[in-house]
Amino acid sequence: MSAGAEALRRLTPMLFALALAGCGKLDQEAMVLTVEPGWTAELVASEKDGFGSPDGLLWADGTLYVADEGGSAVRAWRPGTRPAILADARAGLASPEDLVRDSAGNTYFTDDTRGGLWRTDRSGVTAALVEPGRGLPSTEGLGLSPGGDLIVGDAPGHRILKASPDGSLSVLIGPEKRISKPESFAFDGAGNLYIADNRDNLLYLLTTDGRLRRIVADRKGFSPETLHFAGGTLFITDSDNGKLYRYTPDEGLNVIALFGGSLANVQGIAADDEGSLYLSVQSHLEGRKGYILKLSRKVSPSP
Amino acid sequence: MDAIVALSDWLYLLLNGLAGRSWLLDTIVSLPLDNALVKAGPIGACFVYAWWSGRDEAETRRRRAALLVTMASLVFVMAATKSLGDAVFQPRPYVHAHQAWHVQEGRLVETPRLAYREPLNGQVRARTASLKRGEIDRNDLASFPSDHAGFFFALALGIFFASRRAGAVALAWTGAAILLPRIITGMHSPLDIAAGAAIGAAVLLALRFAARGARRWALEPLAGWTLRHEALAAALLFFVAYESANVLTNVRDLAGTGEEIVDHVGGS
Repeated sequence: MSAGAEALRRLTPMLFALALAGCGKLDQEAMVLTVEPGWTAELVASEKDGFGSPDGLLWADGTLYVADEGGSAVRAWRPGTRPAILADARAGLASPEDLVRDSAGNTYFTDDTRGGLWRTDRSGVTAALVEPGRGLPSTEGLGLSPGGDLIVGDAPGHRILKASPDGSLSVLIGPEKRISKPESFAFDGAGNLYIADNRDNLLYLLTTDGRLRRIVADRKGFSPETLHFAGGTLFITDSDNGKLYRYTPDEGLNVIALFGGSLANVQGIAADDEGSLYLSVQSHLEGRKGYILKLSRKVSPSP
Repeated sequence: MDAIVALSDWLYLLLNGLAGRSWLLDTIVSLPLDNALVKAGPIGACFVYAWWSGRDEAETRRRRAALLVTMASLVFVMAATKSLGDAVFQPRPYVHAHQAWHVQEGRLVETPRLAYREPLNGQVRARTASLKRGEIDRNDLASFPSDHAGFFFALALGIFFASRRAGAVALAWTGAAILLPRIITGMHSPLDIAAGAAIGAAVLLALRFAARGARRWALEPLAGWTLRHEALAAALLFFVAYESANVLTNVRDLAGTGEEIVDHVGGS
């Protein structure tokens, strides 16, 4: 071996060790990159604050309700306090997925491991409104129609069901429409229903006259996870691609922010009364690790 | 470590300062990023030269044994750089130029922006335009360590161990034509490149050390086989050279397709 090759042989392990040693210092773990100007990001909670690995979010009455999939619980959290448990594994929950709350204060949620449709009433009693054995072995998205019916995504059956508050079920969209995985729903102000299919990477719109059409299809790098309609805009998280989108019929689909590293698996979304967006991130579902982020629009200083 | 990062940033700013000044320079600098022939063609040529250029059978056998170990090491180099890349998140320099926040001690803090001069032509210009629209692959945000540095440095070093003359050309081409443009265009920081190259060299040297024990019963018979079956060996070499030009992209795509097929058949 020549002197140069010998020097390289000796130098390489040192360089390798240096590279590895530097990783801790280098590693930013994660990032949020705002594509649309005017947003600021903050981390408002994590597993250290009593959450497991959060999924669905809902904002109501100054409280953020969290379907904590990794923690097998539904929690209610007022920023700045410890989260309270609304329902957990003792009531039969396994992996709460999505949630809605009606005007009477009942909280409904789906469970993609246990299945069924669940309700925690105002007094805190949790029970299955629709038992998993009634053809709902795994439930995904959940919506609340303007008329008070619950819209439930049945992924194994490739169906979308309508459940009335008394638990009676009917089929809203059957498997013949080929919605592969109805992951999330959002109603707009006119009562039209947006539907996310995150297996076939499609966004559907079911209009009030019963017509179903694909409004985003064959878009590279788009896989809708959770939908939330607020202020005339549909907000969409994309856990596969680490993105937050906004959609309006006039402007189409635009990226608000990108998420990388341990923040890439962005799941649930909810808007508070000021229009700030809360986002849940599952950094490690089995390890019960995750974050809740808040994206707010910067307030321009008064002239 | 702070000093190394500072040195890397200083060197990056110096080299990226060459970009965005001349369309012609940016086009030439971008060629190895945009064109696999320019990027890897000379390296493949050096590999083939080293494969055939032994003065006698014994030397040819020794060279081929060294090149066979090098080929095997490339798979491990890619696995090592990808694994480290999954564990460490360090944004690309041109990503670092945008408004972003990162997690630090349990909080999101705004990341200091890195100055960036955009090339006037080439693939990176298209990528930065895509980033501004948010249309960038999630795996493309981070750049540490450089898998190109690991792959091509290991390959060129392996060629160097087989043939000093061909290896010197391959190492020079790797440095000047493959890795330097990645810094100039803001695809990678010097630290990404150094870490990738260190991984490439470390994996190759480790495998060469491990292969000593297998020389008699595996490497020499295999090298002898390539001498007895020159036509078939040359045909297989074509596959290796072709795939090396694409940094195993097609192999990785095939693995991805295989996973999709398994998922599809499994119904998940």
